[in-house]
Amino acid sequence: MKQFAILMKKEWRENLRNFKLFWIPAVFILLGIMEPVTNYFLPQILDSVGNLPEGTVLEFPTPEPEQILVAVMGQYQLLGLLILALAYMGTIAGERRSGTATLLYVRPLSFPAYFMSKWMMASIIALLSVWLGFLSGYYYTYLLFGGVDLTGFAQFAATYSLWILLVISIILLASAWMPNAGLAAAFSLGMIVISQLVDSLLGTYWPISPLKLPAYAAAWLGSGPVTGDFWWSAGVTVLLIAALIGLGIFLSAKKAATTKV
Amino acid sequence: METSRLLLLLLPVLLIQLGLMIFAIIDLIKIPLTNGPKWMWGVIIVLVNIIGPILYFAIGRRNY
Amino acid sequence: MSLLTIEGLTKSYNGVLAVDRVSFVLEEGTSTALIGPNGSGKTTTLSMIAGLLKESEGSIQRDFQSGIGFLPQYPQFFPWMSALEFTEMAAQISGVEAKKVRQQAIRTLEFVGLGSAINKKTGTFSGGMRQRLGLAQAIVHQPKLLLLDEPVSALDPTGRREIMNLLKSLQQDTTILYSTHILNDAEEMIDQVLFLKEGKLVEHGSLAEVKNRYAEPKIRMRFDTEQAAALFENRQLWQMHRHKNIIDVPLSETGPTIQQILGELANGESGIAGIDRQNVSLEEIFLKVAGVK
Repeated sequence: MKQFAILMKKEWRENLRNFKLFWIPAVFILLGIMEPVTNYFLPQILDSVGNLPEGTVLEFPTPEPEQILVAVMGQYQLLGLLILALAYMGTIAGERRSGTATLLYVRPLSFPAYFMSKWMMASIIALLSVWLGFLSGYYYTYLLFGGVDLTGFAQFAATYSLWILLVISIILLASAWMPNAGLAAAFSLGMIVISQLVDSLLGTYWPISPLKLPAYAAAWLGSGPVTGDFWWSAGVTVLLIAALIGLGIFLSAKKAATTKV
Repeated sequence: METSRLLLLLLPVLLIQLGLMIFAIIDLIKIPLTNGPKWMWGVIIVLVNIIGPILYFAIGRRNY
Repeated sequence: MSLLTIEGLTKSYNGVLAVDRVSFVLEEGTSTALIGPNGSGKTTTLSMIAGLLKESEGSIQRDFQSGIGFLPQYPQFFPWMSALEFTEMAAQISGVEAKKVRQQAIRTLEFVGLGSAINKKTGTFSGGMRQRLGLAQAIVHQPKLLLLDEPVSALDPTGRREIMNLLKSLQQDTTILYSTHILNDAEEMIDQVLFLKEGKLVEHGSLAEVKNRYAEPKIRMRFDTEQAAALFENRQLWQMHRHKNIIDVPLSETGPTIQQILGELANGESGIAGIDRQNVSLEEIFLKVAGVK
């Protein structure tokens, strides 16, 4: 516990001084704002770009406010996850490869504290980013398209947060496991994309899955997901996160010998 | 919608964009080494809108 | 009293032996030099003792509680951290009492000569400053055993001397094991030498023992000109080695005595400029052991 506090202080300083504490939330906020704004101006944009004959009247169905928020989540699923993977791919693998980890590993270091400090810091920034992003998206959607039920929104963001914690766990496991940052990013993104693909192809028979959390999150903005399926999926996700953390701690200790001396 | 309200709406976007760029440039000047030549990152940060500074922070900056 | 006992220490990577059945003992309070050419297994041996690498075979028995201090050849620091922040963190992880951390870190940084740079970011440090900080993080928790991997080889002569002086002042209350290939510096602070070659311990003992074993004192004569030296060599009086205007004569049992040599040089036409007795240096022993001609 003492070492966790020491290492947490180190991670906090690091993320403050390499600006991750600022630029990652900024990007998520930007994505959250851009989605409602571009949707709002889409008719005008198309009008000015497209060479439409005089007098053509384009009819756009105005999107529902809920759809905008789901689209923000769609952006996070693409760009957001990519950014998180790039930002944290090297948090362990990079330290080993550059040799900065050596002067930590040569001490009586607690690897659970070491791994958890990194997991905690990445999670704090990721959740901060997702919530600030969704809130800005929520505000802009409210201004331009109309309000969204606040309870549904909170359930939506909370469910997606659980998914983000799973993503962070996968990225940190990959960083503990892989020999360098690039492979860690490729591995974690590959894992997420492939399992999502499999789930979307075969998953109709299997409603309980951590991979369905984003879909369930979106469902909260409408009539809500099937309660049993949702809670089982959330429970399985929590267990999976715990397992990934356990494996990450084990691998960070096992791979400590590969640090550059 | 009136123009002034529109501008007000877009102001945060511009501020974040500008903030990212300024942060990235200050950091690039102060940092001893980047992944790849420094001048290239300078060009990317300034010329590639929004994505430039993000790319710099994500892969250009040496963090470890 | 022995502090560290190493027996049959072996490290293999995919069947290739990096360290091959190395055994030795470190007595408390002594300094030991680990000497060998590049790739002889020095760093691997130190890494295993430091606990960074798991040995493939053999045993490392540490007869002490408090920790180890380790200085890698090229210590790497988090560039965004200040020297004080890093030293404090190092002390904390090594279990230094919370209320003593700051004081101990500052005192250590002053000891290594970084007193005026404690708040500077390590990313701005020069090679010499990094080595000093490396030493600071290795001793801040006052370890019983200090492991140093080529502590001075990356430094210029002045820096080298300063670090060696720091190490000498640490000798009293710390057991030191350090690898090096800069042997002139090493000679000043060695109780024991270990010669590694291709992962094997090929020679070890106290400095005096090893020197005796390889003792080959010789007389070195310096002549005014190369011709004078060549002329002397051509007389083929004894076994001698000439290099330009210098001739070495080994003082072996079959060779001449100093008196004989002085007698031959005594006639005025020899062109002798200087003469002195040379003892074997660690450098020469190293070259011999490493099999370099």
